[in-house]
Amino acid sequence: MPLLKKRANRSAEIPTASQADLAFLLLLFFLVSTVIDVDTGIGLTLPEFVEDVETVEVPKDRMAAILINENGDVLVDGNPTSLFNIKNNLKPRIISKIELPITKKLIVSVKTDRKTNYNAYVQALDQVKQSYFEVRDDYSRNNYGSKYNDLKQGDQDIVKDKIPIIISLAEPEAVKK
Amino acid sequence: MEFTKKRAQVKLEIPTTSMPDIVFMLLMFFMVVTTLREVTVLVDFKLPEAKAIEKIENKRLISYIWVGKDKRMQINDSLVLLDEIQSIMYGKREILPNIIVSLRIDKGSEMGLVTDIQQELRKAFCLRINYSAMIKI
Repeated sequence: MPLLKKRANRSAEIPTASQADLAFLLLLFFLVSTVIDVDTGIGLTLPEFVEDVETVEVPKDRMAAILINENGDVLVDGNPTSLFNIKNNLKPRIISKIELPITKKLIVSVKTDRKTNYNAYVQALDQVKQSYFEVRDDYSRNNYGSKYNDLKQGDQDIVKDKIPIIISLAEPEAVKK
Repeated sequence: MEFTKKRAQVKLEIPTTSMPDIVFMLLMFFMVVTTLREVTVLVDFKLPEAKAIEKIENKRLISYIWVGKDKRMQINDSLVLLDEIQSIMYGKREILPNIIVSLRIDKGSEMGLVTDIQQELRKAFCLRINYSAMIKI
């Protein structure tokens, strides 16, 4: 004989009314602790360290030598200019070398003094990068009809090959004391 | 004569049953984007500003070097000397071969110091660097 016990129909529910409050609390915690700061900056790849550097002669029209001294004065290929004119100086030279092979592209060399202000150096690098980015954008717009960043990966690589960013950091010289 | 407008008896309640779901969704979002700050910065610095700025896509690859106004340098949680950078960074590079070193250098620093740090980084084969800068508007 089955003995079925009759259970009282007790309601067994977890109260969910406070669930929202709990979720809000957690949410607040993460809201407060979140730092959404994307790290931004000017990227660069350093050359490998070698003991004795062999110097390679580079034809003069390939080089754009930027020199910044401790007062923030700028020389581009020996001609005095201002920090904010570097871009105008470089752009036509980059454009003129778009169709040349990689061995003939422009090399931008940035050289500073030990006493040069870091900010001036970043500004100069910024100018160089800006000129490259603008040339890339113009080239993409003329040939593909949109900005460089909106191009497809394949096209982007083609433009990148046409206009590579070559920045040479001058090997630091022995410090004169 | 009384003019009382007869309104339909409409219940004016916003259904709140889905509120926890919405909140949880928000919660998920913040949980995913949160990176809890692991280090306390001990040096005082102000970043330079620049326009041609790139974002670093992969935050896990980044390792920071701070340089403050008073020329003190910090890696991880501690202040370091110039000669120590090479060994520390070499150790970091062994764990993360394609490490990006983000240089958070005060804009008033001298280039001599920056070059010295760069030389140390080159010796440690940490070649991908990034001069941290704020966006100029």
